[in-house]
Amino acid sequence: MAAPIRVLTAVPICDGHDSAINTINLEFIRHGIEVVYLGFHRYVGDIVRAAIQEDVAAVGISSYNGGHIEFFAEVVKQLKRKGAGDIKVFGGGGGTITHDDAREMKQKGVDQIFFAGTSLAEMAKFVHDRYGKPRGKRVKPKSADQELAHRLTAIEDGFQDGKRRTSNAERSTSKSEKRHQTSNIKHQTSVIGFTGPGGAGKTTLIDELVLRFLNHNSRSRIAILSHDPSVIGEGALLGDRATMINSQDDRVFMRSMATRGQAGGLSPATESCLNLLAHSGFDYVIIETVGTGQEALPFRNQLVDQTILVMNPDYGARLQLQKIVMLDVADIVVVNKTDLERAKAALSEIEHRLTQNKRKQQIVATVAKRHRDRGVDELFELITSKTGGKS
Amino acid sequence: MSKLGAVVEAVEKREKFVLEQVQRARTDQQFAQQVMDRWNKIKSEIPVSKTPTGLPLPRLALPELDEAGEIARYLFGDGLPGEFPFLNGAYREMYLEPLRQAEVQDKKSGSPNGSNGKKNGARPPEEPTRLFSGLMLAEDTNKRFHFLSAHQRSKRLSTAFDGPTLYGIDSDADGVFGKIGEGGVAVDTVEDMVRLYDGFEIGSPDFSASMTISGPAPIIMAMYIAAAKRRFGPGVVANLRGTIQADIFKEVQAQNETIFPIEASLRFLLDMIEWTSQNMPRWYPVSISGYHIGEAGSTPVQQAAYTLSNGFAYVEMLMARGADVNVFGPRLSFFLDCGLDAEYIALSRVSRKIWAIGMREVFGADRRAQMFKLHTQTSGRSLIAAEFKNNLTRTAAELMLAYMNGTNSCHSNSADEPFTTPSEEWIRLAAHGQAILLEESGIFKHTMNMLTGSPGMKAVERAVETAILDEFREIESLGGVMGAVENRYQRSQIQNAAHRYEQQIYDGTRPIVGLNRYRNAAEEMPEIELARTSRAKQKLQVDRLMKFKKKNAGKAKGALDKLVKVVERGENCFPALLEAAEVCSLGQITGRLQEVVGHFRPMV
Repeated sequence: MAAPIRVLTAVPICDGHDSAINTINLEFIRHGIEVVYLGFHRYVGDIVRAAIQEDVAAVGISSYNGGHIEFFAEVVKQLKRKGAGDIKVFGGGGGTITHDDAREMKQKGVDQIFFAGTSLAEMAKFVHDRYGKPRGKRVKPKSADQELAHRLTAIEDGFQDGKRRTSNAERSTSKSEKRHQTSNIKHQTSVIGFTGPGGAGKTTLIDELVLRFLNHNSRSRIAILSHDPSVIGEGALLGDRATMINSQDDRVFMRSMATRGQAGGLSPATESCLNLLAHSGFDYVIIETVGTGQEALPFRNQLVDQTILVMNPDYGARLQLQKIVMLDVADIVVVNKTDLERAKAALSEIEHRLTQNKRKQQIVATVAKRHRDRGVDELFELITSKTGGKS
Repeated sequence: MSKLGAVVEAVEKREKFVLEQVQRARTDQQFAQQVMDRWNKIKSEIPVSKTPTGLPLPRLALPELDEAGEIARYLFGDGLPGEFPFLNGAYREMYLEPLRQAEVQDKKSGSPNGSNGKKNGARPPEEPTRLFSGLMLAEDTNKRFHFLSAHQRSKRLSTAFDGPTLYGIDSDADGVFGKIGEGGVAVDTVEDMVRLYDGFEIGSPDFSASMTISGPAPIIMAMYIAAAKRRFGPGVVANLRGTIQADIFKEVQAQNETIFPIEASLRFLLDMIEWTSQNMPRWYPVSISGYHIGEAGSTPVQQAAYTLSNGFAYVEMLMARGADVNVFGPRLSFFLDCGLDAEYIALSRVSRKIWAIGMREVFGADRRAQMFKLHTQTSGRSLIAAEFKNNLTRTAAELMLAYMNGTNSCHSNSADEPFTTPSEEWIRLAAHGQAILLEESGIFKHTMNMLTGSPGMKAVERAVETAILDEFREIESLGGVMGAVENRYQRSQIQNAAHRYEQQIYDGTRPIVGLNRYRNAAEEMPEIELARTSRAKQKLQVDRLMKFKKKNAGKAKGALDKLVKVVERGENCFPALLEAAEVCSLGQITGRLQEVVGHFRPMV
């Protein structure tokens, strides 16, 4: 079975009209497409960076607030300039984009503009027909990000073909790693795994930590490998980028993966992809699982250096805590959303549960949505201090 | 838990109370007599006006009832127009022609008149038509405003802003070139605000400005006040009339034009509401909006339920800060969408009733604070590009529904809206649609309640009310509006409804003429003149802004530092915003505030 088509969808800067794109995303998923959704109010630079890192086949832009001719043309131009002319651009804007506009946009390199009245199924068919062909010989990467992105795609698609390419792709030295080696920096990459139930606020927490990583060291680079579930028999909505603010940064490399049928919170290709990222010169590699259940134990084989379980205070009765397996193995347990009513009780119950383990596990209370939250500061200190001691 | 659950109980209790009154009127003779006496008095005092053909018609139509129980059901359950629970209207006479002096003397009972609360013979009621515009630079929109309002006695201007302004970003910021003046007017500074309403007497009772902006609304409000002071001196502030949208909840639920984290946005909003309701007694500092919720794809019931619950949440928060519900309550206004679905036959009527009951019973508000002051806009989503002239008919039907619901003001969309910023020709037709309905036709000008009270309308009222209360219960179970927002309940409900709507169009269960029915295959898109902002104009805006920043650089720093201090101390920051608005650009203020309170984290 061929690998699913991956496309990135977004709404331009100063535009919050996401009703159409939300509907289109859902329809694409139904047609087996994996949609990396970047969200609304996004700059050209954010779209281009994400498209290259995610190595999508195409970018779909939904624009309702005008300025589309300039915006689409700029996306095409920047993609080409960064050597990613193989990533195509299509889009629409209901009635706000006229046929004359569309002609001009196509002259400037946009593949297709859909008008009001186009059925959702037609759009999905277009994506399949136009972007569904297997990738031929890849263009020569122009940047370390692009090279890394191509190699991740090769790994992920390899698993899809059933050829479990374990480590060929990640064995050869990447450009970025070379860069670090030639500049004679012995690079330490710390791999941090985040897991926990859906709705606990993992993505927000990671994005807030990224802000602190970036501010802490003006040269540090971070990779994020984020997971979202594939819908059975269908595609996936990879939507973590859409809620991130601080991770839209040139020093952050983010890749969104669909689980493609594997249970447990990760994808069949995760281990190999993580391996590659861990040897690509990043200071931190953050891996985020899908929202997990009580029995989940996603990070095996010493996949990560530190495991962080993110919970919210709403786990139900105290007895439920006994069943959460990750509580036994997590290095740090974060109780997020501690502004909720149940927080105090939850913290003491979890603390009590952890003392039974007799391991040096840490517990941190956070409100990740809060600007400059002290709890997130504390978590950041914990993570960085542990990393320092890593052999 | 929030007070929304208490609102549900209050509405249910009210329904029970009405039934009790019906029973009592049927069993308690003395009570029955009181009811009958009141009814007869009301009837005898209704003035009569004459149609152009000389036919006499009552200025208020009442159901033909002669049984005390049914009369009690009407008086307690629906209320006369202008009486609790306001089902039939916030005011006694809304779109009626002023009664001629001769007729007034015939019937000496003066009836309390419409929106300005004055007696007949004084100011005629305010015209409900609103003219929405915003394009290119401030001087271009200003020109459009003058064109649109040239023939109107009162100037009621409604302003749309461009994308960068809606997001609090300056026109000279990286990455926004091309967006300047698109979809609305570009406003960066107080100087733009002066240009925007130049030539209008903005302190006059015949002028009101409405500004469709929420994320940076307190900053834009401050700029409007600063501009008014520049032109007319500080005395003008108390006389300013108009509305600023400023509805943060609907932004995070539907429209996505939020720039600060929710809590910070709410704090800035409440600061503004408190300040303006004390210093600008004629200003509406928030327009609690279902329009964008409806346009984003919600069902009509979701639209009303989310709008009302958002409104109750604001009231709860303001009261928690110690604000007086009878001071700020009358300054809350509402904005609903009106489309073609059957629910719209009574959606606003029911909303008015639920608001009044909630405000009175749960929040202890007085009569003025119970009134649901409504602006309606016809549905933009119901208009399509294919055979776009059909949009005139769609909008006309929606206008009819809006006025049947007793809206206090209304904007009718222009038929060319699906494919362009409305052109002058089609805007004029849209405004004329309202004049034809209200002035030319006899449907609304002779008699209040002319089209209300049908069994069908009653059936819709019942069904809609039940469904809205069910939505309230759901929201309450998620911890009230804030809890539901954080669970992205409203967002996901709206998205599901939008998806279903699209599917219904494509499978034909939702007929759209010219799209899935009676489609004209040969039709081509009309040739239209587009109102695009030229590069030269965009550049002009950037240049002006840079000049402003240079000129005020020294003062701006001081004003921003002061603003930050006030924000950090947790005081009402609106006075400091007023000072900053004199010398800072929009982007300078939002940028600095974001350093202190952070950015809004988008929701999907």
